[in-house]
Amino acid sequence: MLIDTHREEVDRILAKYPADQKRSAAMPLLYLAQSAYGHITPQAMEEVGGLIGVSSTDVAGLVGFYSLYYDRQAGKRRVQICTDFPCALRGAETFAAALCQKLGVRLGETTPDGEWTVEAVMCLAACDKAPMFQVQDADGIHYHESAGPDQPLTVDQALDVLANYTSAGKGG
Amino acid sequence: MADNVTLTIDGARVTVPKGTLIVDAAKRLGNDIPVFCYHPKLQPVGMCRMCLVEVGRVQRDRASGQVIVDENGQPRVVMAPKLETACTTPVEEGMVVIGASGRVKEARDDILEFLLTSHPLDCPVCDKGGECPLQNLTIAHGPGQSRFIFEEKFRLAKQLPLGELIYLDRERCIQCARCIRFQNDIVDDRVLSFYERGRHLEIITCSEPGFDSKFSGNTTDICPVGALTTTDFRFEARPWEMNMAASICPHCPVGCNLTLNTRREARSGGQMVIKRVMPRQNEQVNEIWVCDKGRFGHHYASSSDRLTRPLVRRDGKLLEAAWEEALELAAGQLKAAGAGLAGLAGGRLSNEDLYNFRQVVTGLGGSAALNTRMGGAEQTQQVGVGLGTNFAEMGPGTAILVVASDLEEEAPIWWLRVKQAAERGATLIVANGRPTKTDRAARYVIRYAYGQEVATVLGMLVTGSSEAAEALARAENSVILFGREGLDFAGSTALAQACANLLIATNHYGRPNNGLVGVWPDANTQGAWDMGLPARGQAVLPVGATASWIVAADPVGDGEISAEALRAAGFVVVQELFLTPTAQAADVVLPAASWVEREGTFTNGERRVQRFYPAITMKGRPDFQIAAEIGARAGLSVSSHAAQIMLAIAENVPAYAGLTYQKLTEVVKQWPEVGGRDLYYGGASYTNRQGLGVQVPSAAERGADITAGKLAAPPPPARNGLTLVPVTVLYDRSTTFVRSQVMHPYVPRPYVELNTADAARLDIQDGDTVTVEAAGVRVTLTARVDGRAPEGVALMPADLGPAVPAVAGPATIQKG
Amino acid sequence: MFVEFVRGLATTFKQIFEEPVTAPYPEVKRPVAARFKGRHELKRYDNGLEKCIGCALCAAACPADAIFVEAAENTDAVRFSPGERYASTYEINMLRCIFCGYCADACPTEAIVLESNYELSFTNRDSSIYTKDMLIVPVLPGGEPTPQKAPPGKFGRAIPDMKDPE
Repeated sequence: MLIDTHREEVDRILAKYPADQKRSAAMPLLYLAQSAYGHITPQAMEEVGGLIGVSSTDVAGLVGFYSLYYDRQAGKRRVQICTDFPCALRGAETFAAALCQKLGVRLGETTPDGEWTVEAVMCLAACDKAPMFQVQDADGIHYHESAGPDQPLTVDQALDVLANYTSAGKGG
Repeated sequence: MADNVTLTIDGARVTVPKGTLIVDAAKRLGNDIPVFCYHPKLQPVGMCRMCLVEVGRVQRDRASGQVIVDENGQPRVVMAPKLETACTTPVEEGMVVIGASGRVKEARDDILEFLLTSHPLDCPVCDKGGECPLQNLTIAHGPGQSRFIFEEKFRLAKQLPLGELIYLDRERCIQCARCIRFQNDIVDDRVLSFYERGRHLEIITCSEPGFDSKFSGNTTDICPVGALTTTDFRFEARPWEMNMAASICPHCPVGCNLTLNTRREARSGGQMVIKRVMPRQNEQVNEIWVCDKGRFGHHYASSSDRLTRPLVRRDGKLLEAAWEEALELAAGQLKAAGAGLAGLAGGRLSNEDLYNFRQVVTGLGGSAALNTRMGGAEQTQQVGVGLGTNFAEMGPGTAILVVASDLEEEAPIWWLRVKQAAERGATLIVANGRPTKTDRAARYVIRYAYGQEVATVLGMLVTGSSEAAEALARAENSVILFGREGLDFAGSTALAQACANLLIATNHYGRPNNGLVGVWPDANTQGAWDMGLPARGQAVLPVGATASWIVAADPVGDGEISAEALRAAGFVVVQELFLTPTAQAADVVLPAASWVEREGTFTNGERRVQRFYPAITMKGRPDFQIAAEIGARAGLSVSSHAAQIMLAIAENVPAYAGLTYQKLTEVVKQWPEVGGRDLYYGGASYTNRQGLGVQVPSAAERGADITAGKLAAPPPPARNGLTLVPVTVLYDRSTTFVRSQVMHPYVPRPYVELNTADAARLDIQDGDTVTVEAAGVRVTLTARVDGRAPEGVALMPADLGPAVPAVAGPATIQKG
Repeated sequence: MFVEFVRGLATTFKQIFEEPVTAPYPEVKRPVAARFKGRHELKRYDNGLEKCIGCALCAAACPADAIFVEAAENTDAVRFSPGERYASTYEINMLRCIFCGYCADACPTEAIVLESNYELSFTNRDSSIYTKDMLIVPVLPGGEPTPQKAPPGKFGRAIPDMKDPE
């Protein structure tokens, strides 16, 4: 139970919000649960819901909405490619397919070495730099965008970016 | 009028209240603007974009705020550059709305095509097919040819169960969130949510069990596509193949209006059977909703173990007999008993049954009684809610007190309506010995110790005793709903009197939206009292009974009398649907017709008399007819026609004066319109064409002198140790519900609920087997430890199998 | 006048040596036209599964109300048709049927077809009701009779995928 293992953090997060607005603590508590459990388990959703007095279904709705939360075990780092409408028009789907092929996985899968999980996500708010992707790791979130409308991001560039992460041993 | 706004929609002028949405204003004109996500009972969200219209507004000078007029002296109207959603835009003075233009048509066609991008178009096998808004609007707006190739459509596994009652088909979902909004806003069971985003958006439930709500069936009515369907009706029939019969729900005192869909069925040998139960609109009673007990609890009528032939005891055994023989025998024996004849009837019978029963029993010199553990109907007859009372009209200025009742478990639709009244601004006061779901919506929660119900209400009579009492006294309108939790007959009668005294003292009776409502155990308890049946005493049969005639009651099964004791009191005639333990002890068993096979009327808790109609082929005979036939053989003349009996009731029961079957069928146009051609607007609930019922006046409204009854607060019960409180659960094992197989996963095993502290003291864990001993009852069942019971109190649901004590009292609970 | 007489008789005599057009029914049966509408048949796929999905659109289209359909759900263990749903009861009252063919037009899976059998006679009203067993065609060689056992997940669609009609 989160409340047992991370009592201090839970209390600190809850203290930030007024007693009658406990539900505001949902997001920070979910981050906490994510770092504690590796990903957000159904059990974690129930615990967080219990802490803030919200049904676990509502908590699950939050987890589902944000690409920042993950509800299943994945690799060390996540490559999240935006395939929403503007990006798709700029070739994001082809880009995603090509990147997947290079990494030898399908969308949503993790590379055999457990290093990368490739996902297609909804809008990442960088339509002007489409196609683009973000990398989520223990350090946070890193955007990798096209240089401009004339210079779309290529798969080779993307692979170089990814190689940088692994060689630098960043995060992990 | 300042509160009204006049606008023009497609050339027609309409005046509507300020704040009305364009879609509703158009509906008043009979102009159907297509919608998917909008529903008149839900807050608008503008998610589906189907209702796009051109909107023109009166131009105003920015500096002065004055309306700019054109050369003709008319206000200048400027059309907005983009189309707007009619479901989220409120009307404005002088607004011009155009829905019949090519631009609008094109936009709607495009939206529809977009909604169909991933729709599987499996209408031929879809249970919604035939009454599906998406299907209808596709015919009106859809392209003849799909531009999206089937192979490229987004596919998911079909038929995902959300709980045991509802199936979700995610491919068909158009993400309008009607179901989620219904669950969140109307019933406050937040058990549905969206998951993921974009094309991957899907409906999920994380509750345990899945879709844990007592109102889940309603989401299938308002779902504008076939995404949510019920397991009970799955592939049973196509909507257009079924017949309709109007009915009234027999499960609780709300009296929800129903439409029964029937069809012949091969596996029932070609008999007409009830295929499904749908809500029928009655804005005064159930609006367009019905709880899952009403929707799925009809199976007892078509149960294969129904009695169909009379049984007569020969050589100690019940054997089938002809009607003539059984009736002759029963009439002869009952007549011979004379003053020793004890009649006992249940509250699930119709007014006609109860009236005839009483006529015959008293005509033979016997005494008839109602089998009930709850009293207080004399008080509701005196100061019951006034004519025209409607929970939907209650808001600011109204106070509602709910006392000794768990409204959601006892009368679910009242819970929903009371909660909505509270949300509109009514002051909801909940008084109970434990937390209930009603607390969530309450402004004041009064917690008493069981046994202090009457004292608590009497305490509210003292001016300024509490904020809640003050709010109730000072409110313009006040309604009190009283239940029977933890109370026996005497206790609930005293509570009703205390509530009546409170209403009389604060002058809240005899007018609309004021007065007393009983949360009765049965659908027609109020009607039974009105028909002149007094409640039975502590004992099932009066002293000196030499023959008994028991109708729609099972005192043996309820553990109130043993079969031997019943048989010792002379000849026993039982009129029943099933061979209940009481029927097994009878000398003559007469098979009764169930409520779906015959005519009749129920009087609901708000004293509204409502009529139900035969829907399927009769098994057995109606109770009123059996009573008449026994009467005829004993030399009494009572009518055996329902409509005629109602005329006799109107003549002999003052409150029912002037009632006729014709009057009960009268309808007025209701708002919002549902069930019409435009299924997309209100959902699949049926339009009410068969009668809204008639509320009968209270004694106060008939000019009677109303005075508060004398009542002393009982001394607080001296208690140490645990108090065992019998409570009501909606899904129980009662005769009329347990035969609905589909609901079995929701009927709990017998349990007793303990407070965490008590459980720790007794060394009892959640799920342990425990033995409960109280008031001569000794049962072994499962313990639940979840903190819902207050300390010192153990809650034990009734009607789950083992007998429970009639009244809250001391108990000992031990492990094992 | 004599000329006309001879010409008429010539036609008569010519016919004497021609083959007769009447057939000795029932020993000899004449083939029916390609679009003849005779007794209905419920078709199967080559693998033996039934085409009918129990949607009752035939019954809805029937102007004579001659068709009665009840549906039930397929499972992988007991499978009659490829989709979710199959007809558990299928009856046509041949006394009511007017052989208009609307049922075949309405059928979304081309399961019901009016074939060439016109030999319908009954001695009582009950036997005019043709049940599913009487209407469904035999399994073709290579097919399996229904109900079949199907591997889980093989039939995930509500309605079987169909080629567009030619």
